Amino acid sequence: MKAAFYSLTSCEGCLTTLITNLGPNLQALWRIFDIDYFKLVREPVGGEKVPRVDIAFVEGAVVTSLDKKRISQIRANSSFVVALGTCASCGNIAYSASRGVDLKRRALREIEVFEAEPLSSYVSVDFELSGCPVSAEEFTVALLRLLNGIEPKQPDFSVCYECKMSGNRCLLDVGKVCLGPIAMGGCGSACPSVGAPCYSCRGPAVEADLSAYLRTIRRHGIPEGKALSAMNAFTGKKIVELLKDGKK
Amino acid sequence: MGRSDAMQDKGSSHSKGNAERLKEEVILDTNELRLIEGHGRLKVRLSGNRIEAEFHNLEGPRFLTSYLRGKPAEMAPLVASRICGLCYTAHSINAAEAVEEALGVTPDKEVVELRRLLYLANNLRSHMMHLLFLSVPPIKGLISVFRLREKDLVAAGTKLLSTSTQLIEHWGGRSVHVPNVVVGGFGALVRGRELMESIAKLESLRADARLFVEHVLAIELPELERFRTMISLKTDAYPTYAREAPLIINDGSTITDEEYFKNLEEVVREYSTSKHIYFRCSEATVGALSRIMLNRRKLKPEARAYAEGIEWRINPFLIIKAQAVEVMHYLEEIIETGERLSDATISPNGYPCIGNGKKDQADTCFGDRSGKGIAIAEAPRGTLCHACEVEDGLIRDYRVYTPTAVNSKSIEMDSVEMVKRFRPLGGEKLKYILEDLVRSYDPCLSCAVSLDFLSEP
Repeated sequence: MKAAFYSLTSCEGCLTTLITNLGPNLQALWRIFDIDYFKLVREPVGGEKVPRVDIAFVEGAVVTSLDKKRISQIRANSSFVVALGTCASCGNIAYSASRGVDLKRRALREIEVFEAEPLSSYVSVDFELSGCPVSAEEFTVALLRLLNGIEPKQPDFSVCYECKMSGNRCLLDVGKVCLGPIAMGGCGSACPSVGAPCYSCRGPAVEADLSAYLRTIRRHGIPEGKALSAMNAFTGKKIVELLKDGKK
Repeated sequence: MGRSDAMQDKGSSHSKGNAERLKEEVILDTNELRLIEGHGRLKVRLSGNRIEAEFHNLEGPRFLTSYLRGKPAEMAPLVASRICGLCYTAHSINAAEAVEEALGVTPDKEVVELRRLLYLANNLRSHMMHLLFLSVPPIKGLISVFRLREKDLVAAGTKLLSTSTQLIEHWGGRSVHVPNVVVGGFGALVRGRELMESIAKLESLRADARLFVEHVLAIELPELERFRTMISLKTDAYPTYAREAPLIINDGSTITDEEYFKNLEEVVREYSTSKHIYFRCSEATVGALSRIMLNRRKLKPEARAYAEGIEWRINPFLIIKAQAVEVMHYLEEIIETGERLSDATISPNGYPCIGNGKKDQADTCFGDRSGKGIAIAEAPRGTLCHACEVEDGLIRDYRVYTPTAVNSKSIEMDSVEMVKRFRPLGGEKLKYILEDLVRSYDPCLSCAVSLDFLSEP
């Protein structure tokens, strides 16, 4: 089987997470796959050409004209496209940040900049593995499932669930805006475990119930506007869609 | 590529008034640079009889700093961390410090020490990532780290890389984008004894580090000496992270962080998504080589012994050797700092109260405070400067001056020098050496683009 690891506009934290956290197992990937393209690990075969592969892992959001070109080439040459990380699945901070900037203010010679979009705005994506950054364990599980012909699965629980499992004090009880109840789990409640509120960096949970959440925070005496502005940070396009659905 | 050629013509026609008479020719184009962080490209062209180099940043801007405008000040470390996937700790710590300075918050001494420890671990991780995966294989003519014949070297390097990542995970709460660094201190309790335990296993890594460092120091590198301004932080110990430290320049002078900040100038380049930064209207080089050249007497013993064995000159290719020496130094310093902190306990100041503000409308717990703050520290790639302006607890302006944006000008001037000297080698060979040259600087284009071409002024 052939696999490739691409990077669009991002901090490249997802690929470095895979490289450092897979550790010695990184080499094992080469025993399973024929990897022609892996940014940061090898020089690509065939230069800038996008190789034909069975599974493509793509990190990053689509921001520039180069990204646009690259993502359509990747889609055309890959049987299965996995969006790696929150930039690729939701657009991350760049999604809302780029909508507040005058992009026409100055033009560059060879490259054009657009409002940031997740991969799914341009091409169809077969599987989304969220996380800022992705977790190496989840990546491995998804990979093993793919290898065995089983559809990979997103975590179907919220950060709130994991946070309760780790026995943390509820941050809503102390009056902080925590998005845990509607955030997609799988991170092991990394932030609430160190006392930081959840910003839902993996996007909304699979069955996020926005109206129930807003009722809950009102009961805790937290103004709704604060929660909504917190939601705008990481969840990008997903939360915009969720809010639209809520209004219907 | 037909498309870029067309663009090229368009670009050259308005860059010079007498373009028709000047012969324009692209001597060298690397296309997308391989094995660097982010997307970049180097183009060298002959315009008349002048050689010009352009270091293109092709990474798209994510507008993280403009996103911060109007947001609560305590959000800065969280967002700034996302600037880079290799030196996230540097960004979040600098952001925390800049905001603290603006708000008039002074963290405890232990907090500063532990931050320094996190900084060291992050610098170690970033250097290992750069040396092992990005720099050493291509300089030896290999396409990937896994083609290295010295398997013990790869094993040692991987061990250093994953151990430093574990340290960050242990102290920071996550391996990448650490949530534990917050304005005012740390989100969760850190105990000295736990620190000691996590550091105890580092002692066994010394042998691995020696093997790795000696290997890198033995690599034969091209010669390219060119004088330029070099800058580094100046502290009592070898510079990494410190609150309020002056900077030293290679002409022997020392300047305060305020002066450094005032002398930075942003320059827009029509071919790059990130601005270039000039220091005193000219180029400056920051990074491992500058640190070593200006501070090598302060290195820890074993690292210093390695450093003494090399003739340090202003040759950018030597940056990877400087990084190798620093790998040893960082390891030694982490072990030493850990021992010093064995009795310390850093209690959590709790996550500063986002959404728990006293002034409800202000959305922040620092609603009554305003001010300006600058934080300068030595990130893996060089002197990193975060500057912010806070008004009533909300961020009014936020700017990030990254080492790569400072070094961009030097990369271009070195490329020109390189082409002048080695042009007879022919384009194909020269291309590889030029790629190695750019890679030596360890450029991080995702970082550089945080000062994007659209940012004001």
